[in-house]
Amino acid sequence: MDIGGGVEESSRQVQVRFVTKLKPPYKTPPTSLAIPTNINRWRLSDIVNNILGAGVDDWQYQPFDIVIDGKYLRVSLEEFLLAKGISAERVIEIEYIKVVAPRREDISLHDDWVSAVDGSSDGYILTGCYDGLGRIWKDTGICTHILEGHTGPITSVCVIKPKVEGAFDQLVATASKDRALRLWKFDAGKSAQPKKIRAFKILKGHNAAVQSIAAEPSGEMVCSGSWDCAINLWQANGSDAGGDIVSVKKRKKGGGDEEPQSEGAVVSTLVGHTQCVSSVVWPQHETIFSASWDHSIRRWDVETGKDSLNMFCGKAINCLDIGGESSTLIAAGGSDHIIRIWDPRKPGKYDPIFQFSGHNSWISSCKWHNKSWFHLVSASYDGKVMIWDLRTAFPLGVIDSHKNKVLCADWWKDDSVISGGVDSKLCVSSGISVE
Amino acid sequence: MIGRSFVVSKLKTIRISLQLQLQFGYLDSRLTMKIPKNKKQQKKEEAGKINETLGRIGQQLAQVADNSEDSSSDSDFEVVDNESLSEDEGSISESGMEQSEPSDNEDVVVSSDDDNNDDDDVGSAGDGDDRNGDDTSNSSEVDGGESDDSREVVEESDSSEDEVAPRNTVGSVPLEWYKDEEHIGYNLAGRKIKKKERQNKLDSFLASADDSKSWRKIYDEYNDEEVELTKEDTKLIRRLLEGKAPHADFDPYEPYVDFFAWDDSKHPLSNAPEPKRRFIPSKWESKKVLELVRAFRKGRIKFDDKPKEESNLYDVWADDSSLTERQGLTHIPAPKFKFPGHEESFNPSREYILSQEEINAHQLLPEEDRPKLIPKQFMFYRSVPAYEKAVSESFGRCLDLYLCPRARKKRINIDPETLKPKLPSRKELRPYPTTCYLEYKGHKGPVTSVTTESTGQWIASGSNDGSVRVWEVETGRCLRVWDIGEPVLQVVWNPLPELPLLAIAAGQDVFILNTGLGSEEEQKKIEELLCVETPTAPDDSDKNASFISWGPDDKHGGVRLKHFKTVSSIEWHRKGDYLSTLMPYDILSPNLNFIYLLIHTHLIGIRHCCEAFCLLSLCFCSFLNSLKRESRSVLIHQLSKKLTQRIPYKLRGLAVSSAFHPIRSIFFISTKKDVRVYDLLKQKLIKKLEPGVREVSSIAIHPSGDNVIVGSKDGKLVWFDMDLSSQPYKVLKSHEKDINKVSFHRSYPLFCSCSDDCTAYVFHGKVYSDLNQNPLIVPLEILRGHASAEGRGVLDCKFHPRQPWLFTAGADSVIRLYCH
Repeated sequence: MDIGGGVEESSRQVQVRFVTKLKPPYKTPPTSLAIPTNINRWRLSDIVNNILGAGVDDWQYQPFDIVIDGKYLRVSLEEFLLAKGISAERVIEIEYIKVVAPRREDISLHDDWVSAVDGSSDGYILTGCYDGLGRIWKDTGICTHILEGHTGPITSVCVIKPKVEGAFDQLVATASKDRALRLWKFDAGKSAQPKKIRAFKILKGHNAAVQSIAAEPSGEMVCSGSWDCAINLWQANGSDAGGDIVSVKKRKKGGGDEEPQSEGAVVSTLVGHTQCVSSVVWPQHETIFSASWDHSIRRWDVETGKDSLNMFCGKAINCLDIGGESSTLIAAGGSDHIIRIWDPRKPGKYDPIFQFSGHNSWISSCKWHNKSWFHLVSASYDGKVMIWDLRTAFPLGVIDSHKNKVLCADWWKDDSVISGGVDSKLCVSSGISVE
Repeated sequence: MIGRSFVVSKLKTIRISLQLQLQFGYLDSRLTMKIPKNKKQQKKEEAGKINETLGRIGQQLAQVADNSEDSSSDSDFEVVDNESLSEDEGSISESGMEQSEPSDNEDVVVSSDDDNNDDDDVGSAGDGDDRNGDDTSNSSEVDGGESDDSREVVEESDSSEDEVAPRNTVGSVPLEWYKDEEHIGYNLAGRKIKKKERQNKLDSFLASADDSKSWRKIYDEYNDEEVELTKEDTKLIRRLLEGKAPHADFDPYEPYVDFFAWDDSKHPLSNAPEPKRRFIPSKWESKKVLELVRAFRKGRIKFDDKPKEESNLYDVWADDSSLTERQGLTHIPAPKFKFPGHEESFNPSREYILSQEEINAHQLLPEEDRPKLIPKQFMFYRSVPAYEKAVSESFGRCLDLYLCPRARKKRINIDPETLKPKLPSRKELRPYPTTCYLEYKGHKGPVTSVTTESTGQWIASGSNDGSVRVWEVETGRCLRVWDIGEPVLQVVWNPLPELPLLAIAAGQDVFILNTGLGSEEEQKKIEELLCVETPTAPDDSDKNASFISWGPDDKHGGVRLKHFKTVSSIEWHRKGDYLSTLMPYDILSPNLNFIYLLIHTHLIGIRHCCEAFCLLSLCFCSFLNSLKRESRSVLIHQLSKKLTQRIPYKLRGLAVSSAFHPIRSIFFISTKKDVRVYDLLKQKLIKKLEPGVREVSSIAIHPSGDNVIVGSKDGKLVWFDMDLSSQPYKVLKSHEKDINKVSFHRSYPLFCSCSDDCTAYVFHGKVYSDLNQNPLIVPLEILRGHASAEGRGVLDCKFHPRQPWLFTAGADSVIRLYCH
């Protein structure tokens, strides 16, 4: 079986076998074929499509990305083999996967800059906006709830217990520049008109603008990083009892609030950062990761309140996420154009294990994919959202739909990237097939 | 062959005594020498001659015996006698006797041999022939027997070498002499030793191939036999070849036994006292000296004191390079001339003569390209005319000599790289701002001023379009805009984090506005602080109040300080309560102005009358002027008490910029020429810094307070170390155009300057706590990116208070943030 051989007779040929982890319609027979070495990934994708479409009448062209030995093919096959030192004698196993690139882009307009977005719940998208309103989007363009109450721009939002499926009692938290956090409870059921809701709990205790918020995996607590250099832990459960007990003295000052709203007080404060805590992540019950403008990334032990890891990284950090291989890698971006990934399991070494430089400006957001160990989305002030794979130094996909700075980005429903920016748009790029 | 004969001769020396051998060899040689020659002569004739010679020998011997008196001659006689004896009998006993006195005999024999060479020769020849004749007669028989004998002997020698005596008595004569003979020599009995039959070469080769011992067999030419070397022999040969002693038991390196007993010799070997002559001067020496002295006096001995006359000839064609060293550095060698060639001859060959066309072609050339000499032909040397340019050239030469520089210009050969100061590399001095990542756009006109909030969360900027904006640093969002209405000259954020106030200088007003960024409690405090009652009517009695009026600003909700002149610069004290303002331009009050004008016109009117008075008045006038100027140009306001003070110091020149000391109560005012440092508590001038630049544009104080940088309008940045002197520690000439602003970082060792050439320079400026160490200043980065607008470039630069970032405000209405 010789498919590509007819194109250029002069080039060398290698024996290859196409393998995949995709489901049957995309499976090829496990035969090896000879192909010329001077072809690139697009031609290889064509070959795979030819094989797949051989038996089917109405085959729809499906672009594939080519992975050889765990690395993406980005140059011609010959160069790749030479660079990796792979012998052309043996049968080379070429894995093809679906191209990780968005198929569709939908836009939801806001009234002001979209500063925060959270897509950890499959049922809705939570966004924070500079007009001080949080919004719940059922789907693109369908806003179900408007979270009203903040007096300053919302800087960060998070969904508490995103995995709990159910229409009622969805819990979300927002942080704002008005130095307060608000917890919201809403019914995720459908509604034709955007329904304005008020927060059921206001968490006050920060002395400066709150910059970031993260919820504990079990949903009981919320932590927040602020410009006052502190990380505060708050009780987040829906029952008012916990909040009421500790919020007695707060209530004196915040007396003007409406009846159903209660105030919560700080449960505990993690002190150590010397500058604005720009990002907090709470991946496990006992550890909190935080990134700050004081050029450090710290890991906190929630029980003791001490930092068990203090990683100096030389740049002011804007965003941080934990994920990747067994949810341990730290990805962070900051006041330069490089996304750095550290492995905190390596003792004593604080050199980043990966560095992705594709952006031109500050990185405003980076998020690991929920399921994949390799995929990462990043947003930058240069107006681009990029999808990265640890196996290649080049971005897999670039979403260029924003006109100005992108302030936030996240994955949604495992196959979409949602991003918000200065152009007041929430952009949902769907159809990204991450295996 | 040589090796073999060597070995054989060595063997010989060992086996028999050398003397004996020589003796016999000598005798034999005497005998045999003439044998080959005589063989060709007729034998019978010579038989008679032999008798004669024998008789002659007898006579000679008798003579010798008579003449000889010493015992030594006895031996001589004996030897000669021996000779004759041996010739006759050749007995062994005789030779054994000879052995007792070996060397002497030999010598004498030789001498005697020389004396009677001819006779001996003849005699011996006769003897030889005689015997030859005998031998030849029965040669056939004897030969066979002899050869048999010799073979047996050879065999015997193989078996028992030690006993073998030399059979051949031929001596050390060249064996070639016997090449053609059938015998090889003579045995002890004087018989011929026949040559052995030679084996066929092939056979001998085969035999040697068969014989495993063939490698140690040696053919002895002398005795015509094969000798097989024993192991001892080979060892001995090996030792000899190695240059060692032949006997193994001989030790050449035996320890030296010093038999003299040195230890006991306490006294000299000779006990005789030193002779007297060792102590007295030599009589003969003094006599000799006296004689010489007399000779000098009488002139018998003369010294040749004239130096040798050196030849005055000058080598015209010599290489001058060697002379330069002798004549010193000032010597300039004369230019080299070309060697004269054929064309310079008075009668050159035909080919050197130029044709008319060539001469014409030369005329077309520019003068400097023309050849100097055109060869001409003269038939006779006498017809050569005088050199026509002789006078002009000698004049030119004189001019050359006259104008030639008499001193050599000294040039120092220094690598310019080595003159550069050793600075640390920029990589080591990180972090510092390098790249522009963020731009803050929104202003409509040139941004004149930018200021940072103390936590670094916000910045504020003022522009010529009359607006003041507050920006969020992180995102570049404009949070707030105030429209002042007049071009804003400066915006300064209150240094206290709990007082987010802005002081804005616009026109003649200074506004203190609340940004509203603090918490509610802070906001309440600020509102109380900014609460001012309506401005009272200017009280004439109080001078302070007459210039400044504090009042609420209804439009923007702050405090408005109305100045009487345009305020160019404002500066907060570190505690956030005091505020200094500067009014550099035309400070004269209207009253004084009027007086001044009055005096002036008056003076013009009376100028022609009394010029001296005029000058005096002018001086007075300017004095008055300066007196008034100094007191009002710099004001210090206290926010909490709403008070305004004047600085009670004299200033010469226009005030340009002012600054509070970051730690102590010291106030810096810079005029266009110098920087004055005042102590506010003691109310006196501490120091006057002289930057030596054309016009100072701005100053900045290092956070530690001991170092000041001054930016000037001629692009120079001057660093002062207050501890050192009033002169600059360093002057950095970096910008091409005016420096607009200089600034220090609050925590990082960085400072910067921004200029109208659209660049901002970032420097590393490390100040050491060790007073002995001078500050380290390293230029780090040139930040570009701003566009020029109406000839202005970057108007202001401020560092982020906590990050190594730099904000620059450009005339292109953009604020840029440069990050590390």
